[in-house]
Amino acid sequence: MTIHEPGRRLMHGIPLKFVQKRVSGGNHRSVVAGLSLTSMIDFLVVTVVFLLMTFSASGETPVNKNVRLPQAENTLDMIDAPIVAITGSAILVDGNAAGNTRAIEDSKRLQRIDELFNILKGKREVWKQLHPGKDFPGVVVLQIDQEVTAVVVKSVFQTSAFAGYPNVSFMVNSLPKTQK
Amino acid sequence: MIPFIDLLMVTISFLLITAVWSHMARINADAQVPGPPREVEPDKIEPEKQLHVEMRTPDKFVLIWKQSGTVISTVDVPRKDNLIVKDGKKSIRYPELAQKIEAEWKSVGTHRDGTDKKFDQAILHTDNETPYVFLIGVIDAIYQAHRPYNVGGKAEQVPSFNVTFAVN
Repeated sequence: MTIHEPGRRLMHGIPLKFVQKRVSGGNHRSVVAGLSLTSMIDFLVVTVVFLLMTFSASGETPVNKNVRLPQAENTLDMIDAPIVAITGSAILVDGNAAGNTRAIEDSKRLQRIDELFNILKGKREVWKQLHPGKDFPGVVVLQIDQEVTAVVVKSVFQTSAFAGYPNVSFMVNSLPKTQK
Repeated sequence: MIPFIDLLMVTISFLLITAVWSHMARINADAQVPGPPREVEPDKIEPEKQLHVEMRTPDKFVLIWKQSGTVISTVDVPRKDNLIVKDGKKSIRYPELAQKIEAEWKSVGTHRDGTDKKFDQAILHTDNETPYVFLIGVIDAIYQAHRPYNVGGKAEQVPSFNVTFAVN
């Protein structure tokens, strides 16, 4: 097989005059557009590198639209754990209602939230049944609005700890680390 | 060439589908609660020094080193709330507090070696009215101090303190 000079190939083999005229451009722009392979591969490689650098194996965590999370610099990656969200005065565990904070806000005193306690305890029992013989990690993630007062945070924190979740993580928006 | 372009296309499709555009992260804080009762009483362990960070007044932080209830030293750090608001999201920075905590850890902290698996303990105390964003700012400042930690023969930089959030 002979080696041909690189160039346009498409429809050049058709032995018809009008086709040849159209293919070669004729008096108009050619119908066969050239594509620079080098530029395309460069673009694809740059895109792949960018996407690989921003790839996160921990996955996306659902965040309630009404919750404005604070920002922090010295953070850890998210983990798979029950999420306790406080939106307004409602408390949600993995999106399901688990009491409210009105009584705490009114009294301004630390209180145990019974509904939250029972739901978290139930989740702990289920985990133990599904993972017999394994140590329970006791991790819960708190998704709290930036304006919520400390007494509410303390109440939820203490309730979670008493329900068997002493390792509490606060969900935040990650800030880039400042250079020292 | 065609298989190579195909591979790039498939990789881009996979990465775009699984891409995460929101950068959520977490900050750890343990709770000190009594564990389950044990049949065999554990050996008595010498209590370690703990750094108590108190933010009860709007003008200063108080850093107190305690060992089994005995106060070893007390340092006041002026409180300057560097509040940054961007698109409704707030962040509080306490660079002076972070520097002071790091200096305190370097002089009093006990777990500094990379082979040491234990961490120094910092306990955060706050009043009931403080907004949550300020708590995160202080915890972030405590985690600013770093130390080496050997993982699989490789030294990594990890926070010097383990933070406990006191509910009292």
